Amino acid sequence: MGDMIKGNIAIAEAAVRAGIKLYAGYPITPSTEIMEYLSKRLPEVGASFVQAESELAGINMVMGAAACGVRALTASSGPGISLKQEGISCISDEELACVVINVVRYGNGLGTLYSAQCDYHRETRGGGNGDYRCIVLCPGSIQEAVDLMATAYELAEKYRIVTVMMTEGALGQMMEPCELPDFIEPKKHPWGFDGKYTYKKIGIFDRNSMDEAVELNKKHEAIKAEEQRWEEEGLEDADYVFVAFGLPGRSVQGAVKELRAEGHKVGFIRPITTWPFPEKAFENVNKDVKGLISVEANATGQLIDDVALTIKKVIKDRNVPTFCLPCVYGIPSMKFTKEGLHKIISGEIKEAY
Amino acid sequence: MREIVYAGFGGQGVLTSGLVMSQVAIFKGQNATWIPSYGSAMRGGTANCTVKYGKDTIYNPAQEDPDLLLAMNGPSFEMFYPMVKSGGIILVNSDMVDCDVNVRDDVKVYKLACSTLAQEIKQPRGANIIAAAAIIKLAGDFSMEDGIQGMNDMFRKKGKEKFEAANMKAFECGFNAV
Repeated sequence: MGDMIKGNIAIAEAAVRAGIKLYAGYPITPSTEIMEYLSKRLPEVGASFVQAESELAGINMVMGAAACGVRALTASSGPGISLKQEGISCISDEELACVVINVVRYGNGLGTLYSAQCDYHRETRGGGNGDYRCIVLCPGSIQEAVDLMATAYELAEKYRIVTVMMTEGALGQMMEPCELPDFIEPKKHPWGFDGKYTYKKIGIFDRNSMDEAVELNKKHEAIKAEEQRWEEEGLEDADYVFVAFGLPGRSVQGAVKELRAEGHKVGFIRPITTWPFPEKAFENVNKDVKGLISVEANATGQLIDDVALTIKKVIKDRNVPTFCLPCVYGIPSMKFTKEGLHKIISGEIKEAY
Repeated sequence: MREIVYAGFGGQGVLTSGLVMSQVAIFKGQNATWIPSYGSAMRGGTANCTVKYGKDTIYNPAQEDPDLLLAMNGPSFEMFYPMVKSGGIILVNSDMVDCDVNVRDDVKVYKLACSTLAQEIKQPRGANIIAAAAIIKLAGDFSMEDGIQGMNDMFRKKGKEKFEAANMKAFECGFNAV
């Protein structure tokens, strides 16, 4: 077993081992340890570290590195990621590959320092202008975050898309044992700039948006078909199925285990990719299920929308009720989830859809 | 699975006290999680962390039902004593906690003058290690030898082996004081 390591540090080291050549970003709690660590670590491996003058400058530097066909990273938290949206939308438009880490903190505007999952809609829908999506990975442990780091780049490069690693404040700040992966020496991509104006310049009026739209949809469909990731248990006979990701997902797994031991027929789906949403997992849900329950660290319920839409696709002959247990911020205790189920069964909590 | 809350003023070293516990558990082949306090507590004022350890998977790393509480100051005691599981244990640093600590019949409260003891053994910065060792003793899952080995392993990996003798002295002091 590995030693105790802080989430942000482990993720940063995993990025180094995935072969990043540039980190550019601007500090913000609770993500700052990622760049603090990289400021010392990247020069040791001959890579570049830039503390940019702003979030926007940071993401634009990442765009430059991505255009050169190398692995580049930026990290921030909710408010900082808001500022990066212009760059993320541009990188998506250019079909370049990079990874953006969002160590989510709670709140609107500048928000708070609490751990949360309130950026779910923004990350899974594409937060900037236009019509793009990012692949969104949501680890439930430090080990999983570390293991997904190389995957994040492989997916970004395979599909020429932005991958968002959406962690949570608590995952960034907590410690648990973790085995770090081996070093990878990624190849520079042949489509990157070579400094010789090899590629034809395409101006804004030269674009064929109709053809581009067809290609974009094909890409999104391929990602939806190939890249859904999740963990599930107890779906086949479940009366109620919980859906939760990240640290709440992990806490829900514990609650489900206890509820099962107490005789309740419950199961869980823990999405690891929240885009593409793991629709395939829902095909394994008991067709007589009484309800689906999202457990999420936000105020209003966001994941619940995808849960409701997806179960509608899978069980078409009736409306399966979906319930939402939002804990606002932090990690919902197993007690919270268990009490939530009892309130749903008793009718105290009404369905969301 | 065991759950312990370590709480005190920022600077008292409670986050390190908790880390020692988690490292000892890892050193003995168990699972462990360590999660610090959040929000304004990170910017001075009170600090706390929750440590969980055991042989099984740790699902929720955050606070649920603490078996033990270390309260290094009064506000920490006031904040956390109601959360301790019935039948649990509270260790208070009696140098800093001067309120009435006999507030619950269903938990056992131990008082330890951590700062005074640290002065007595001439390790004035060792109060948090004294407290960490006392908690390890009260939790009853690891021997003093396991505790010292796990702690030394942790500080060596941080490049702090020059404090090893001082830390061991503080650890023995705390372990034997409860």
